Amino acid sequence: MANKKRCVVTGLGLICGVGDNVKDCWDAVTLGHSGIDEVKSVDTSNCYAHKGAEVDKASSELSPENYDRSSLLCIHAANEAFEDAHIDASEKNIGVILGSCVGGAASIDKYYTDEIKGDGGKKEDIFKMGASAIANNVSAHFGLEGITANIVNACAAGTMSIGYACDLIREGKGDVFIAGGSDSFSSLAFSGFHALHALDENACSPFNHSTGITLGEGSGILVIESYEHAVERGAKIYCEILGSGVSSDAYHITAPRPDGEGQMSAIRRAVESSNLTFNDIDYINAHGTGTAKNDEAEFLSLHTLFDGNDHLSVSSTKSMTGHCLGAAGSIEAVFSVKAIKENLVPPTIGYSDEDLKVLAEKAGNIDFIPNKSHTKDVHYAMSNSFAFGGNNASIIFSDNEHDIPDNSKNEKIYITGISKLTGTKTDENSLNCNLTSEDYDKHGIRVAFYRKLDRFSQLQLLSGMDALADADIKIDKDNEYKTGIVIGTADGPMTEIVDFQKKAITRGTEKGSAFSFPNTVYNAAGGYLSIFSGIKGYNATVANGNQAGLQSICYAADILAEGNESVMLAAGTDENTKTNLELYAKADLLEKPLGEGSVTLVLETEENAKSRNARKYAEIKGYAQAHRPVSYDNSEVDSKAVVEVIEKACLNAGIEADDIDFVCCDDKKIIKTLMPCYDVSQETGNARAATSAMTAAYAAELLSDSEKNYEYGLALSMGAGGTYSAVVLSKA
Amino acid sequence: MNNAIADQIKEMLVENLRIPENILTYDSELFGDEIGLDSIDSIEIVAGIDTLFGIDMTGADREHFQSIRALTEYVESKQG
Repeated sequence: MANKKRCVVTGLGLICGVGDNVKDCWDAVTLGHSGIDEVKSVDTSNCYAHKGAEVDKASSELSPENYDRSSLLCIHAANEAFEDAHIDASEKNIGVILGSCVGGAASIDKYYTDEIKGDGGKKEDIFKMGASAIANNVSAHFGLEGITANIVNACAAGTMSIGYACDLIREGKGDVFIAGGSDSFSSLAFSGFHALHALDENACSPFNHSTGITLGEGSGILVIESYEHAVERGAKIYCEILGSGVSSDAYHITAPRPDGEGQMSAIRRAVESSNLTFNDIDYINAHGTGTAKNDEAEFLSLHTLFDGNDHLSVSSTKSMTGHCLGAAGSIEAVFSVKAIKENLVPPTIGYSDEDLKVLAEKAGNIDFIPNKSHTKDVHYAMSNSFAFGGNNASIIFSDNEHDIPDNSKNEKIYITGISKLTGTKTDENSLNCNLTSEDYDKHGIRVAFYRKLDRFSQLQLLSGMDALADADIKIDKDNEYKTGIVIGTADGPMTEIVDFQKKAITRGTEKGSAFSFPNTVYNAAGGYLSIFSGIKGYNATVANGNQAGLQSICYAADILAEGNESVMLAAGTDENTKTNLELYAKADLLEKPLGEGSVTLVLETEENAKSRNARKYAEIKGYAQAHRPVSYDNSEVDSKAVVEVIEKACLNAGIEADDIDFVCCDDKKIIKTLMPCYDVSQETGNARAATSAMTAAYAAELLSDSEKNYEYGLALSMGAGGTYSAVVLSKA
Repeated sequence: MNNAIADQIKEMLVENLRIPENILTYDSELFGDEIGLDSIDSIEIVAGIDTLFGIDMTGADREHFQSIRALTEYVESKQG
């Protein structure tokens, strides 16, 4: 059997509370020096907790652009990683896959603080609010033209981004990526975790006496290349990246499953997809947040899976860096790579003599590295990240070549279910969905469940369940781990974020809403959908401008091709509330009326579709993405990028552009063509990612219409920042 | 029971916990199957009662959270 393409790490960059470069950070954590101090950037005066690990640099010192701090932290780390990797500045075909939890929370705080003070929020801050901007800003800074994505799965985002970049390399979608994550310190996160009573009054000491987390900020960046590319340019290779695993708990929106099932499933997937056993792992950089619920579940997972391993060391570097949320997995990935490179494992700090006695009783075979780092041969290092929404991610780094059998499926992928939840005109600038209790009743969704959901999550839940029903799929024990979700969005749950933020500004950081905070993470919608439906497989949310809806289909198809899942729900979702409308009006983005909705497609492998005799709308024949970096507030079409993305998608589909019978796009300005061209935004308004996903849904329906007699259709979509996605569909 | 207090609490529950107003009576079981409040919601109730009445319900027995009536009676007893 053939082996998978090898992915190697050739550059590292890091900034967080313990230092502003890899060397300083590594020296600090291996010496047990903490970056946790009194919080300066957020008013904590009336809070019960005051600790945090902030980066000791003003935003203006990080990079000169007028970007949100999350983007600037990321550019700072990426600069170091590029210099470290000695990549030629003329190499532009580099992808950017970044994780973030809070995105532009600091800019949302600033905008509404200005507004509440009566100064008026500034237009320029609106473009800094979303997580969508980050990867595009980083691409623009370095002039990069590879695939971009912001993986916004809260605290698992950093790890998932690295795993996805490797998947893309293995699928042949690029040779070089920068991957990692970034999050700035924010009143949003501080107030939210404070409301949940999840902050430790003192510096956190996970797996120890900790009573909660300590927040941090920062960014970790890895330059990841195909082995061939790295060797060809004579690059220094730190280590290999083997397999990764992503799973959903399908249990609770904030708490992990107490039995650790979801965590263990992600870890097992990572180990199995790396062609290793649990006994091979030498070091684990644990999620280790310091909350009782996380630490107990993770402790149980580690003991259950690794008790037969007599040489495993485990630590949580969050005891020094704080919990950097969407950046956490990326920062800890850098530490895992360094552990391999230096044969040195960093500690968890904060153990007293008394704590050490307690630890000795419960540690079993596992070395928890209390207080002091030590040397050891590290061949295989694992990094784990678990998140709100019940998302779990695990990834493995290796010091040597290690063959991974290629399980990827060269199977056909079909669309077997479609749900189109879009709005109708409510006034000249707006289209809205009218959600009624009957919509929930139809799926047996009770008030007790759906009342918790913000609008973004409600739209996604209904559309996701409708799509499963349309495909005639019921989630059960046999398919729960074979089914996954990818959701694309431009703006995510912006209304819930803004409402939370406004209250935190007017009432004080200490009065945040415990009820709405869980919904402020972009992946809450995917979390609720997995909880209600029972889907336990892959679960990602991508924020990347309007085109994220179509990008989610490309992403989901990549996951199916990698061979982990048999069915993927791919969705585009965006909400339209008074908040969205105000922001779009102020930013002069109401060229078209603002819409809302959620369009979900069920993608399924040929084998799976055949086994259950599924109805097929169309085949996903090929897909591609292109990127031409422009300023995030620039929505001009780059016709060369349009040509490129169409050519690439056709090449991937094995057809000529002339074979295409019709185009579905989300804005007719993207393409000038003589063939039939359907601008689906005529129907949906600017429902952003929902309109983008609609292009594929509409194309699939046209292809399944026997009266039309179309053979090939093209779905085409673009997003702010210069990202383009194209999907070629064919008659099933 | 003081209806003015009960109505303020009801409004807070509808606003802060998105409980549909039409299914919420003074005696609805807040933690029962239909409305289904959980531990995160109870944090929100504690915060809401504090904001409305300046009364700290931290550590109060579960029974005081069971319905709008129970919450109202607790507030009345503390306002004494």
